Amino acid sequence: MSETGYKPKPDNATGGLSSAGSQPAFPMRGSLFRKNLVTTLLLAPAALWLVVFLVLPFIAIAIFSVGERAPEGGYQAALTFAQYANLPARATAFWNTMVLAPIGALACLLVAYPVAYYLALRAPQRWRLILLAMIVIPFWTSLLMRTYAWMYILGGRGIPALLAYVGIEDLRLINTPGAVLLGIVYGYLPLMILPIYVSLERLDRRLLEASADLGATPLSTFLGVTLRLSLPGVMTGFSLVMILLLGEYLIPTLLGGGKVFFIGNALVDLFLQSRNWPFGSAIAITLVLVSVVVLIVANRISTRLSGARRVDLI
Amino acid sequence: MTAVPDIEFRAVTKRYGAVTAVSGIDLAIPPSAFVALLGPSGCGKTTCLRMIGGFEQPSEGQVLIRGRDMAGTPPYRRPVNMVFQQYALFPHLDVEENISYGLRQARPRLSSREISQRAGEALAMVQLAGYGRRKIHELSGGQQQRVALARALVNKPAVLLLDEPLAALDKKLRTDMQIELQNLQREIGITFVLVTHDQEEALSMSDFVCVMNGGRVVQLGQPSEIYDEPADLFVADFVGKTNLLSGKVAGLSGDLVNVALADGTVIAARKRVPLSRGEAVSVSLRPESLSLSAPGSGALKGIVRNRIFLGSTAEYAIEVQGIGSLLAKADHVIGQGNLFKPGEPVAIGFAAGAPLAFPHAKNNGTNQREDQNAEILP
Amino acid sequence: MPKSYRDGLPITPDKFVDQLMRLKRGSISRRDFLGLTGLGVATAVMARELGITPTPAFAAENLGDRMSIATWPNYHDPQTFENFKADTGVAVEVNVFGSNEEMLAKLQAGGSGWSLFVPTNYTISTYKKLGIIEALDMAKLGNFDGKSEDARFTAEGTIDGTIYAVPKNWGTTGFAVNTKKLSKPMSSWKEFWDTAMAEGDGRTMVHDYQLTTIGNALKYYGYSFNSLKQDELAKAEELLLKVKPHLFAVSSDYQPGMRAGDAWMTMCWTNDGAQLHRDIPEIAYVLGKEGGEIWTDFYAIPKDAPNKPAGYALLNYLMNPKVAVKEHLANGAPSTDARVNALLPKEVLDNPILYPAADLLKPLEFGAAATLTDPGRAELMARFKSA
Ligand SMILES: Nc1ncnc2c1ncn2[C@@H]1O[C@H](COP(=O)(O)OP(=O)(O)O)[C@@H](O)[C@H]1O
Ligand SMILES: [Mg+2]
Repeated sequence: MSETGYKPKPDNATGGLSSAGSQPAFPMRGSLFRKNLVTTLLLAPAALWLVVFLVLPFIAIAIFSVGERAPEGGYQAALTFAQYANLPARATAFWNTMVLAPIGALACLLVAYPVAYYLALRAPQRWRLILLAMIVIPFWTSLLMRTYAWMYILGGRGIPALLAYVGIEDLRLINTPGAVLLGIVYGYLPLMILPIYVSLERLDRRLLEASADLGATPLSTFLGVTLRLSLPGVMTGFSLVMILLLGEYLIPTLLGGGKVFFIGNALVDLFLQSRNWPFGSAIAITLVLVSVVVLIVANRISTRLSGARRVDLI
Repeated sequence: MTAVPDIEFRAVTKRYGAVTAVSGIDLAIPPSAFVALLGPSGCGKTTCLRMIGGFEQPSEGQVLIRGRDMAGTPPYRRPVNMVFQQYALFPHLDVEENISYGLRQARPRLSSREISQRAGEALAMVQLAGYGRRKIHELSGGQQQRVALARALVNKPAVLLLDEPLAALDKKLRTDMQIELQNLQREIGITFVLVTHDQEEALSMSDFVCVMNGGRVVQLGQPSEIYDEPADLFVADFVGKTNLLSGKVAGLSGDLVNVALADGTVIAARKRVPLSRGEAVSVSLRPESLSLSAPGSGALKGIVRNRIFLGSTAEYAIEVQGIGSLLAKADHVIGQGNLFKPGEPVAIGFAAGAPLAFPHAKNNGTNQREDQNAEILP
Repeated sequence: MPKSYRDGLPITPDKFVDQLMRLKRGSISRRDFLGLTGLGVATAVMARELGITPTPAFAAENLGDRMSIATWPNYHDPQTFENFKADTGVAVEVNVFGSNEEMLAKLQAGGSGWSLFVPTNYTISTYKKLGIIEALDMAKLGNFDGKSEDARFTAEGTIDGTIYAVPKNWGTTGFAVNTKKLSKPMSSWKEFWDTAMAEGDGRTMVHDYQLTTIGNALKYYGYSFNSLKQDELAKAEELLLKVKPHLFAVSSDYQPGMRAGDAWMTMCWTNDGAQLHRDIPEIAYVLGKEGGEIWTDFYAIPKDAPNKPAGYALLNYLMNPKVAVKEHLANGAPSTDARVNALLPKEVLDNPILYPAADLLKPLEFGAAATLTDPGRAELMARFKSA
């Protein structure tokens, strides 16, 4: 085979990465530093924002979590891990949440993927922006209001009232698990669609042609190329929705009738009803840790399945 | 093999809305040939290739592969494979997975032993043995190019389609790859259809060159034919360097025409189409067909404006009054070296039969698409 | 007030907008609903801990031009504040709240900015203990007449002889029943809970509020509404867990469900009961004969009120019977003030929902401070909700 007169090429001479693959071409140290200084200055406001609104509250919550509930409620300084030891008291809530969050995110994904796929790969170019806007714009109004709208649509004077006209009496849609799932899918759909849309939009269409060219049927192209390469978007959307669902309390309360108790509900009750801030804080800290774990796992999966790409949340 | 062409276009037209990318092409590509589709950007080369690959359907006419009409046959059922512009390698797969991608699609399924064996052979064929587990982004441009080649060839296609495969490589690597491609084609013996806008590449690599312009095929022939006997002014101008001198037909004598150039000089030129007296024509004179000598003899007189010494040859820009600047290329023989210097007057001569006269402007689509030069990426 | 409770559905566009506006005003249901959106408390807590929110400086004796009041949704005649502004030049900003706990949390965090607020009876001793409410300077409240107040309702505003809060109105906690759907007459909490697991299966609501939900479950066994006894609470819990799968909802926002016909029976406060019955006559309001809760909402002034003079001025204005009567007509809850009752129309005074028969009132208990703050009851409620 090698009698073709082919001369092995010195790859480095042509800028090849074969030997430099592990040490990407960094700029010189000096310029790197200068670049960092500028970057630092540019990022300072954002960093400050982060510190004031994320880090400090987190520290405050962490301090609360090792405190005690004052007799009249609230917080009283102490150094105890009793609150953490008490976490099993909300085990059901944790369990409900850990079951709901992935199921909700999955349901959301199942609806979002075809929509994102249509938008990115099938919709006529000139309609794309309009369709995208139609998906995003409702998101600008508060979730509370949109969920409230669903309360009326599913409530006795909404769909059941219409069904009563055709003789289906006393049908109850509101305050059912289905209503909660619907609310979750509806509420978080844009958050799931957008990252998937972005990753599909970024997808090099020629890869799809290359796949077809190599004999892959549309289905195996979808599975082997489209889906695989959109996984970072899928994982981003999934972890985003999942993490938000970990703290969700509004939708189960409004569309589920408050009969299903999630960690979010436990938090609301502890802060606003029984005013047990230390216990609430311990749960909040735990929730943050769980979220971090979810992100790390999602990132691992995404990295493994699609090469070097990462979940865009990190 | 019988004389059934590997690829055949029958009156193929492709329109994108108002744009006609390809209009009424008839073309037969013989088996086991290295064919170049050559033409300026936007002339419809990629469109032709994509119609062979099945990514576009002709608006009119038929595309046949080995005698079979491909209408309605999706890309994944066509016996051709393509090396895409910028390669389109799968970033999520390593080199070997990329190469075996097509083999894995085969039905009935191939055994995994066969797959890995054939992938290994393909890797070796493109000199990438040992690179199987590399990620695509860890490869250089040239290596990626070879992976793309192996990925296509491993499927043993009837025809290999290559869309500007070398455009992204630097010059040195490009020359190497040109040779490598030629060798591969000879070795495997299947038809390669190469799309390029680089006339040198087309001439140097292929057995046949199909020159396209404005969505049509203007000439199909062997490289020397295309160069020596261009079918029209566009081909003459586009393929190789040439001097175009405008003039009017002053007289006809058999196969030749006498053309009166702008400065009044009358030269005899061959013609490719019938011309009539008084018709405006352009006369093509290849730089290497011009010979320079000391003033006194020769058909034209001029002054050397510029000289580029290239070792074995020297190129001269010569100002001819009333006609303009001409490019001349003279062989340089060692020891015999009285080169002309800038400012020196020279006489310009040429062999009888070297000038070719073409009707002016008519059927000249050279610049018609200049404004649409952008490559269309699907 | 009742006007804004026309939850007319099927939704017409203007009615929908109405709903949204109602939401915006926060006027949804009394205690709990706003808690859903009230994450502001956490922020306030942190702000205090971090010393971010400055404590407003104390104002001079003039009334200034603005003040703010914390109260319940649908609890006032908006005209009252307009008139007050016309009289004094002080604009009143109205903050509506979902629960006493939320109010407490905000006040405890400091910097609430309120110069007047409306706590319920059982919270006042806690406020006093925490030292965050003012001992009222009665000299500034000439319109208040202790003698015309029913002592039963005013008692909890006075601690150790000092008046910390004066009453706004009182009410009861019973249950509302859609008699078209549940035609069997009911008169007890026992029937309420039993029906919830039978004819009312999937159609019954209980409050998302431990005080009333646990209290009324205790009533099933005849225990005190305020019981903190382990064994009694255990029985209540058993009942609650048994009922849980049969419930339509655990929510204090019960009007929409009742009006839409999704819910047929719900725990209910007087004023909501009155509104529901007025708009949908088949909805009846029932007081359990075993007893249950009676309550009074008070006015009090926070110690850190930024505009105390205006707070006193508004409070005094609200104590004027001529003003108060309009308030009562607006929010539908019965007044504690004989002078106001004298001005109310006969049909209001004759409404048994507002003014139940004496024998029904007799067994009712006021919620106790300890009932509200008891951690054991909070945990019981959490177990019930998460079951
Ligand atoms: N998908 C498309 N939609 C519209 N016009 C196209 C499309 N593809 C190609 N064209 C047009 O068709 C003509 C030929 O394009 P192409 O075949 O890509 O040219 P080449 O490969 O020779 O540069 C160009 O004018 C181009 O603008
Ligand atoms: Mg092209």
